[in-house]
Amino acid sequence: MTRLNLSLAALALLLATASLCSDPAGMLALWQRSPEAARAILIELRLPRALLALAIGGSLGLTGAAMQGLLRNPLASPDVLGPSTGAALGAVIVAYTFGIAGTLAMALGGIGGSLAALGLLLLLSRGGASTATLLLAGVAISALGGALTNLALSLAPSPYALYDVLFWLLGSLADRSLLHVAVALPPLLIGCALVLSGRRGLDALALGEDVAASLGVDVARLRLRIVVGTALAVGAGVAVAGSIGFIGLVVPHLVRPRVGGRPGAALMPSALAGAALLCAADLVVRLPVAGHDLKLGVVTALIGAPFFLWLIVRQREVIEP
Amino acid sequence: MMRALAAALLVWSGAAAAAPTRVVSLNLCTDELVLLLAAPGQLASISFLGADSNETALAPRARGLPTNNGRLDSVVALAPDLVFTGGGSDRYARELAIRLKLHVVDVPPPQNIADIRRNIASVANALGRDAAGTALIAQFDTALGPTPAATRSALLLGGGGTTAGADGVGAQLLRHAGLMQQDVPAGQVSLEQLLAEPPQVIVQTKYRSSQASLGQSWLQHPALRSLPPTTRTITVDGRPWTCMGPLVAPEIARLRARLQ
Repeated sequence: MTRLNLSLAALALLLATASLCSDPAGMLALWQRSPEAARAILIELRLPRALLALAIGGSLGLTGAAMQGLLRNPLASPDVLGPSTGAALGAVIVAYTFGIAGTLAMALGGIGGSLAALGLLLLLSRGGASTATLLLAGVAISALGGALTNLALSLAPSPYALYDVLFWLLGSLADRSLLHVAVALPPLLIGCALVLSGRRGLDALALGEDVAASLGVDVARLRLRIVVGTALAVGAGVAVAGSIGFIGLVVPHLVRPRVGGRPGAALMPSALAGAALLCAADLVVRLPVAGHDLKLGVVTALIGAPFFLWLIVRQREVIEP
Repeated sequence: MMRALAAALLVWSGAAAAAPTRVVSLNLCTDELVLLLAAPGQLASISFLGADSNETALAPRARGLPTNNGRLDSVVALAPDLVFTGGGSDRYARELAIRLKLHVVDVPPPQNIADIRRNIASVANALGRDAAGTALIAQFDTALGPTPAATRSALLLGGGGTTAGADGVGAQLLRHAGLMQQDVPAGQVSLEQLLAEPPQVIVQTKYRSSQASLGQSWLQHPALRSLPPTTRTITVDGRPWTCMGPLVAPEIARLRARLQ
């Protein structure tokens, strides 16, 4: 483990601990008054919250870095290219069209939707589509997924389905349980492992497909591995925490300059930085703002959107000399 | 002053005109009022929610009645002589009503218990059914009963942690069951808040509990098993809390009976 990885891991763990220990005075008072309630808050509410923040933030950073490496484009990320909206659509259809709002069913729906969105993207990329075409196709798939999600909600038996899901779509880790952790973590970790196993291939791919092939990298298999891994990780994460945007987009850019621009080497630090960033964002949403709870997706978008704009402007400067 | 003037105008117009015979209601809350107050044959259409037994206990009474989607343009073809809206309509609908010279009576959501009585009276009056209105108000007051002196802290709890404001009409109604609604910011309680400051009574609504939703999953969170034994959970129908109209009084009476 490099020094960068170690320090990022330490930061993520520190922020996760802060998440567990927020409001220490209040918790201590509650412990004396009602140890049972304090225990439930710590073990059944804050522990899953911190674990999910680490796991989901990590998977978003990791898959974002992998997609940017695979497509060799800095604008690629799960929330831009469709797997996130695909996952939301899958989970909504399972919960509101088929009426199974169980955690496992929604996670399976999320993974299915995410796979479908990425599968469609891969299908379009056959025959060597340019990355610009792929990005545009991803944006279109994303828009289609969003529209279909709203359609599924409008057609749901309950007239308040849209209202029910609105907050979930904005992303939140509040009031999750250990069951959510138990259901989401296995596919999420398997997905992350699949993506991580492609790190050498991604480094080779950065030199071009032909060079990668001559170095013994099976590009088609590498692509499949990263797509399936991303679908598993993002699908499970979205089904539990809703759509959390911009982490997958922003984090790889923060990390890449520190690893010499190698996409494969950027994977692990992106995962750790993503975990730290989502933990930090989840601490921010718990700051009381005039008595209202902020939503996680709102906070990550508030950080991510200006960064995205800056990225676009800087890219233009590079393109237009 | 304006309210009194409007009420006076209503009384006058009600007295001057014959009772309407093609009445349309565009909102669940006015559906409930017209289903309770209208004479047989007076109603031409109610909203689709008023015919949904997930929403109101009065749905069986709506059997056979045509339903509308809640928009004014969907009922114009019925040539209604009285249209009830609940809490205002959009500008387009208001302009349409003026152009078509439709008689629209708006019934705003109640802000306090007196508003509930006032809404009953205004709907009854517009229908030309003042006597039915007076009777329903008397029934409402009997069911609601006096405010007991002893109070317990309470939380009205729906799916996803939705609750009532501490100074709204919901809290005023709960007081008639001897319950003092906790002050929760933004009308939504988190599980952490609930465990840290548990009320003595949780009034949990069964509203659409048979339909899968994230809100319903929230109510099954394992952390809720760690509520202290001093907290009592009482499950109520839940449907009357959407409108907090005349049907909420029997709900309060049932709640009070179970608390005693």
